[in-house]
Amino acid sequence: MPYADLTRVVLETDQRQVPRSHAEKYELKTIWYWYPLYCLGGISFVAFVILTITGILLGFFYVPDGRLQLDTATSLPTNGAYLSMLVIMNNVPFGFIIRGMHHWSAHVMIAAVFLHMCRVYFTGAYKKPRELNWLLGVILMLVTIMFGYSGYLLPANALSEGAANIGINMTRASPVIGDQLATLLFGDINTLSGVYILRWYWIHVFILPLVGTGLMVLHMALVWLQGVAEPH
Amino acid sequence: MEIERVKGKIMEGQPGFPRQYGPSRSDHQPGIPFFPQETARDFVLIFLLTALLFFLSAFVTPFLGPARSPQISELIVPDWYLLFSWGLLKVADVFPQFVIGAGTPLKTDFNAAFWGDLLSGIPVIFLLILPFIDRGREARPAKSPVRSAFGVAFLLAWIFTASLYSIREVVAQRWQTPNGSPLINDTAMKWFFVIPPVLVGLTSYIGLRRLGYQPMRKWLFPYVAGLTAIVVVQAAGIFLIPGWLGPEVRPYVIQLGIFLLVLIVPMLVASVAVFAVPESQARKWVVRSGVAAFVVFGALVVFFMNSGRPNHVAFTWVLSVLYPNMNTLVLMPMFAMLTAYMGVRRPYSTYEYLLNECYQCGKCHTVCPVTKVEDDALGGLNLVYNTFKKQHDGVPLWTCLACDACSAVCPLDIQYSDYILEERAKVHARMAADGGGKE
Repeated sequence: MPYADLTRVVLETDQRQVPRSHAEKYELKTIWYWYPLYCLGGISFVAFVILTITGILLGFFYVPDGRLQLDTATSLPTNGAYLSMLVIMNNVPFGFIIRGMHHWSAHVMIAAVFLHMCRVYFTGAYKKPRELNWLLGVILMLVTIMFGYSGYLLPANALSEGAANIGINMTRASPVIGDQLATLLFGDINTLSGVYILRWYWIHVFILPLVGTGLMVLHMALVWLQGVAEPH
Repeated sequence: MEIERVKGKIMEGQPGFPRQYGPSRSDHQPGIPFFPQETARDFVLIFLLTALLFFLSAFVTPFLGPARSPQISELIVPDWYLLFSWGLLKVADVFPQFVIGAGTPLKTDFNAAFWGDLLSGIPVIFLLILPFIDRGREARPAKSPVRSAFGVAFLLAWIFTASLYSIREVVAQRWQTPNGSPLINDTAMKWFFVIPPVLVGLTSYIGLRRLGYQPMRKWLFPYVAGLTAIVVVQAAGIFLIPGWLGPEVRPYVIQLGIFLLVLIVPMLVASVAVFAVPESQARKWVVRSGVAAFVVFGALVVFFMNSGRPNHVAFTWVLSVLYPNMNTLVLMPMFAMLTAYMGVRRPYSTYEYLLNECYQCGKCHTVCPVTKVEDDALGGLNLVYNTFKKQHDGVPLWTCLACDACSAVCPLDIQYSDYILEERAKVHARMAADGGGKE
């Protein structure tokens, strides 16, 4: 592209930082009753940003150690991860509210992603030429659900134990490679050793953010390139 | 005078409404600028969301509970977004369980856990292949009723009932008959996977088709009459087949009969209405019988709950019959009445919805004979938008000839003159209601 053209494009677009909708691009005057629901994808992204910030803060204090140990005072089983949760909730300044923000942002993000998917489904926005973006969105929703699942494994409380057992049993039920897959994902074929906490900590703070952020950038770039889908 | 007043309301030139149209336009920055307009709106949303999150995290403590321990045996309920998978895992034991290829390396054990995996995979696979099986161009929910009804039934109702089944133990513990057995038994909850989604889907389909002014009686009659027949047959079976009613419920047959009558009579009325009565009358019949049944049912519940211990016990035993048969005896009457109403109702404010497919190709402006003699067409007809905005559109209500030339050339088949005639009829109706005098 010649320099002059580049300048013209930059000059024309410097005020336009957001993807144009079909109606804007073709200068149509339209009324579309579903517009308020077009903010759901943005809401899930805002929740993701809040989750990243609060997650980094929680990561300074959380200890991914699920090995069982006996509490000396009560002689009940406990573990390092759970003890670090107690420290975050009780001792770390603002730790209580930061964990609360992380917890509730996760719920808001998953709800917003599901509703966003419903909006896209009911307004037919997945249709040609946006099939690829729909597929990316489905994978992103699975990534979000895995974020949620790994997130409630980490406190190493009773819920974590039960959820890990269900997850291990569902993974082991898959034919041929069931046990190997369970060992890969959970570190063991049961929860006794508590290795699953470390495994899912790594998935939660490295693999899923890496995959998720990459796909989110692609997802939004495609919306930018293809424009916002409107039924016309 | 009138035209000045109307021109004052025109949105042209205001933010979001470009001043110039067509290929000769010179302002190349359409739409609303990112800063400050878009950012202001976005930050309002972001701050609201953050405030909501702070509020929740300050006042609703996230659950932590005791530390994990190998001998935890209490009821485990995952977070709400995984409940559907948990429910499918629990219902998977209805499928046959067998082993394929035992003794070989490719041994596949179709046990309940594997069936649960497969069932949870169904929604994911459906979502992945969706854009390749639905290739039509129609995007609006009301214009593609099959897709919309399937979405309501599968994405919303089915996922919801699957989630509901995952807490079957809670339901069984929470609602019980006087002798301690669960009110909503396991069989009824298993049927929740099938019957409510189908009812929701068919009702949505009929209601959405009706939005486009389709006559829906061909669909309505078999649906409403079929549901009525199922409910009547089951009610007859309850009374006539010996052994259906337990010995505890026998003394309360009359009370049970009253409740069943309140459920069945409006269904019969609706069946007759959608079959034999003209549409405007049928609408009245359906609404009146439905509302009356609702009020009478509520009054009966209040009466039985508050008029002494014997009536209260009788009501509990009536419920012990209604709840296990909830799918038929409770949901079907509700859906029959709702569908009958949706199928014969007069869609309101929907004509704008249909008109609103306009993408301003301008063909109607070219053929309209009125714009050739009216000089206030304001630079191009945009009948639909201006009608919606209640603005002057160049073809005032009483100047339109209803020649239908615009509909003839419209690429989206928008019936504009129908709309004009309907609006005129409304004005006449208003004048008649005012006593027929001059306005």
